Amino acid sequence: MLKKTLQAFAAVILIWTGAAAPAMADAARDNLKIVGSSTVYPFATVVAEQFGKTSGFKTPVIESTGSGGGFKLFCAGVGVEHPDITNASRRIKPSEMDTCAANGVNEIVEVKIGYDGIVLANSRKAPPLKLTRRDMYLALARQVPDPSGAQKVVPNPYKTWKEINPALPASKIEVLGPPPTSGTRDAFVELVMEHGAESYDWIKALKKSDEKQFKAISQTVREDGAYIEAGENDNLIVQKLEANPKAAGIFGFSFLDQNVDKIQGAVVENVSPTFEAIADGSYPVSRPLFFYIKKAHVGRIPGIAEYVKEFSSEKAWGPDGYLADKGLIPMPDAERKQMAADVARMKTLAKDALK
Amino acid sequence: MMLLTLLLLMTLAAYYLGLRRAVTVAGGPTSVRVLHSRPAYYGMWTAIWCGLPALIIFAAWQMLEGRMLTHLVVAQLPPEMQSLSAARLSLIVNDIRNIIYGNIPVGQVSPAVQAAAELYLRLQAISRIALAAAVLASALAGLGAAYGRIHIRLRARNQVERLVLWLLGACSTIAIFTTIGIVLSVLYEALRFFKSVPLTDFLFGLQWSPQMAIRSDQVGSSGAFGAVPVLAGTLLVSGIAMLVAVPIGLLAAIYMSEYAGKRLRSVVKPLMEILAGIPTVVYGFFAALTVAPLIRSSGHAIGLDVSSESALAAGLVMGIMIIPFVSSLSDDMINAVPQSLRDGAYGLGATHSETIRQVVLPAALPGIVGGVLLAVSRAIGETMIVVMAAGLTANLTLNPLKTVTTVTVQIVTLLVGDQEFDSPKTLAAFALGLLLFVITLGLNIIALKVVRKYREQYE
Amino acid sequence: MNNGKPKTIEIVQRSLVRRYRAERRFRRMGLGAIVLSLVFLGFLFASIVGNGYTALFQTQVQLDISFDPETFATGELANADYPRLIKEALYKAFPQVTARGERRALTGLVSSGAAFQLRQMVLADRSLIGTRRSIWLPADDDVDMLVKGHLSRQAGRLSEAQLAWIGQLQSQGKLAKHFNWTLFTAGDSREPELAGILGAVVGSFYTLLVTLALSFPLGVATAVYLEEFAPRSRWTDLIEVNINNLAAVPSIVFGLLGLAVFLGAFGMPRSAPVVGGMVLTLMTLPTIIIASRAALQAVPPSIRDAALGVGASKMQMILHHVLPLALPGMLTGTIIGMARALGETAPLLMIGMVAFIVDIPGGFTDPATVLPVQIYLWADSPERAFVERTAAATLALLAFLIVMNGLAVVLRRRFERRW
Repeated sequence: MLKKTLQAFAAVILIWTGAAAPAMADAARDNLKIVGSSTVYPFATVVAEQFGKTSGFKTPVIESTGSGGGFKLFCAGVGVEHPDITNASRRIKPSEMDTCAANGVNEIVEVKIGYDGIVLANSRKAPPLKLTRRDMYLALARQVPDPSGAQKVVPNPYKTWKEINPALPASKIEVLGPPPTSGTRDAFVELVMEHGAESYDWIKALKKSDEKQFKAISQTVREDGAYIEAGENDNLIVQKLEANPKAAGIFGFSFLDQNVDKIQGAVVENVSPTFEAIADGSYPVSRPLFFYIKKAHVGRIPGIAEYVKEFSSEKAWGPDGYLADKGLIPMPDAERKQMAADVARMKTLAKDALK
Repeated sequence: MMLLTLLLLMTLAAYYLGLRRAVTVAGGPTSVRVLHSRPAYYGMWTAIWCGLPALIIFAAWQMLEGRMLTHLVVAQLPPEMQSLSAARLSLIVNDIRNIIYGNIPVGQVSPAVQAAAELYLRLQAISRIALAAAVLASALAGLGAAYGRIHIRLRARNQVERLVLWLLGACSTIAIFTTIGIVLSVLYEALRFFKSVPLTDFLFGLQWSPQMAIRSDQVGSSGAFGAVPVLAGTLLVSGIAMLVAVPIGLLAAIYMSEYAGKRLRSVVKPLMEILAGIPTVVYGFFAALTVAPLIRSSGHAIGLDVSSESALAAGLVMGIMIIPFVSSLSDDMINAVPQSLRDGAYGLGATHSETIRQVVLPAALPGIVGGVLLAVSRAIGETMIVVMAAGLTANLTLNPLKTVTTVTVQIVTLLVGDQEFDSPKTLAAFALGLLLFVITLGLNIIALKVVRKYREQYE
Repeated sequence: MNNGKPKTIEIVQRSLVRRYRAERRFRRMGLGAIVLSLVFLGFLFASIVGNGYTALFQTQVQLDISFDPETFATGELANADYPRLIKEALYKAFPQVTARGERRALTGLVSSGAAFQLRQMVLADRSLIGTRRSIWLPADDDVDMLVKGHLSRQAGRLSEAQLAWIGQLQSQGKLAKHFNWTLFTAGDSREPELAGILGAVVGSFYTLLVTLALSFPLGVATAVYLEEFAPRSRWTDLIEVNINNLAAVPSIVFGLLGLAVFLGAFGMPRSAPVVGGMVLTLMTLPTIIIASRAALQAVPPSIRDAALGVGASKMQMILHHVLPLALPGMLTGTIIGMARALGETAPLLMIGMVAFIVDIPGGFTDPATVLPVQIYLWADSPERAFVERTAAATLALLAFLIVMNGLAVVLRRRFERRW
């Protein structure tokens, strides 16, 4: 028995040294490392797969870490242990560029890849919603203008859609949406809520006179149960909507696209969220998606330039490309061409470009 | 790998040499009784002397080799390359390694890099040979020295046992290191969080609403970081889970160990263990898509206002998941109660169930409490089920039909979000982790005291 | 005996009836608890199997591919225009389709991975060039979903024309469901019809191997030390409290630890099974230690006394007698711990194992993901066809688990005994 125990120890030590030692000593990298947003992830992975199959390089490893986590990893430094590319569902922030610069990541190439439509949808078992952005604002803001018409805000009194707009159904307001940590939520607030608030002239006036209060009025989402923070798993939201026809949900267009037989997108200001409507800009709620390249790694880690070329080719991000099949809304032709040219030159991002 | 196999063989050889030597020293197999220890211990003693120092040399060499070689190679690079920043240099080193491993060379390979790669390979070959020589020399030296010192008075067993004891003790400190590691990796970020949010607000605040702005030019709403509702939600959900798991698990354990026949037991116990092994992701989907709508619609049927992400759904499913934890550990504890106690109770005329309730259970109680505490810990720390089924809205409520949120849900959502990584929102995750850690630590200290006080040993 | 008072025997018998009733009730409650938990298990399995079994089959389209030598005339074999072969075959099968948009819709019926299948065939066997072959190629996931009945015809995912073509192919017997080997032989993919679990299975295998190799010996050694050797001191109290506490730490915190220590301080690679295995080791250790200690406690003192009585040293007593007897209980704890490790997702998030990895890992340091993570990733994918594949991957995970449990049960049954 004693002997067996000793042998077990020997085996453990063997594995410790055998497995851990090469890992610590040296590991060359022959594949791309990509991190970042879970929204860009479904698109980046398609490109990576195509790239891996056609180019002869290894398929890049893509992690879904969220935009913030992606930037943290990306900006941690230059070198094989750090990722080469980070995906983001928002632009990099000046503070993040500072972090990058402090760690020696000075040259970053920004690539805008297209747009992601944000939709409000409900189950097909319920009547479709026809909304304006003002309706959505009134339904979801914490403070709304006094329904009596006075120029002051009151805590949101609306319980059903009908109370907001008589044309809407009398069902309870119940919207499942992303949590405040999410870029989708951020974009929704900016594109819908702010816009809806600005439809009141006196609030719009506030924007100039008292910006802080304007933002407090326009950007705060109610917390009394009508807006349910439902996590980042959009499929789960879709399935919850199917199980509960009275609720509506906020998520990315690709999930609506894939589940058109189960859910329907709300018509916003008389435009349905279709691929074409988002692409030509007539559907008002969409946001750009990006990825960022660490220029110092280009030519050092195999395949970066080729991967980027694949991503920025027409067969990928063009209107008929395979990314469009997956629900990515392409940029207009001119912008796309310009972007492809900039990327091919590896044009670095200047900090001034970020406002 | 070759070297390690060789070393292993040598160690085995050392074992038999030591053993044979001991027998010889004692004067043949019939008179091994004159030895201080049994012959096998001399074998092990020799084997340890042969293998252990060599293994330490090997491990140290492996750890340092890469760095040493890289250092040497870098020193040979042209000066203009050496003057690059450390980060750039690491990319050049990556180039060199890519060439060494025969990967696709990227871009133009400069002659300096090519030369460096060749140098690296040469040095590596030298290093391998030197390593082999050092390891084998050490093994042989150890073997020889040990072999020569074998003597009938040599206290081989005591020495071997001391080493084993030392190893066992070393293993037990891993828990301490893990704890230190966790505290260190959480504390720093948590402290940064407490710089922007006062500790008292965090601990006693009754509102949790991390709606701080994602961008600096935005205004979030309240941005309240009061942990009380989050903690209350955690306790509510795990409380429900324990209400499900403890009775079912305990009764199942009792039935299995006291009533069930061997056949039933051998079928049911593994099945229950499968229940514990189903990935929590799957439970999460089950809770969110099957149980929650079910509870919601049945609640509506009897006129109750049930949230679509009620604490009840998450708690119920979590309870199901925890049943096998409770049952498996209680089962072992009940089995450990000596049969004589049961026989005594039967002899006094107690029925089977009376024996169980009044004799077996009290005897097994400290162990069962330990198992239940383990299950409680599991419930508090469970992440995926609540992430999918429990929602994110922090209500301070005891109503199981409302939506609550838990500490783990908040940690996950805060960490994988899109916001800036050093904003209080992300840092709050670390503070919550620390809080959870401290609370469970407190609970465990109490539990340890209780269990120790009432623990009994029979026979 | 004395007036009207019930006889002792009557009292006893009445109470006996009551006691026996209580006995039966208690027994039924126990049985009920077992049945209830098995019902839960059955329910879960039924829902998973119900969702997942369709993923075992994949709709395929039979096309007459002519490996036109012209296609291979220029350039390398690997870079030839394989999609064109498929397009030509489709155009030939549907000569009435000429408009550009319609042709696009037609090619959309076949998976984009079909071209890679042809490429592999040609690379493996050059003699194919110049021949005509009738080949079964995977259909697009929407077609697959339609054939399996997961997608209604009115959904709008497929156009009227596409539906008509599918009907035509079906009536010709050129569209049929075949066993889905891809699911078991491929790595991850973003096209559901090309996605497989092999990469994740191999990743899980490596990760669990590391976990088992580290956590079982470490856990048993710690338990033996704490239970048998350690003096009752503040130091051992501290260790004990620590172990219990670690069992309660949420698994994602272990991920943070792995990120800071293994990746940060030790500089180990991201997304590697060896790191995942080490993180999971730390996570499962408390479970194994606690169960192992309980098993050691359960060995009766008489065994120890007997061993010591015949002159064994304490170490011999423990290693030769107590440990073998406690091993079944330790195995139980290890099974539970490994089962938990097998199903764990959250800590791997922080160390980069929640990632899109197509290549099948070949070692402990290759980027890899594990089965539960694959399930998590698929569950989050927009494509409908991933729903059934998620369930199928779950089934595979459960199969893994059952094999592990079966092994442990066999081991345990050989040793189990009762004092």
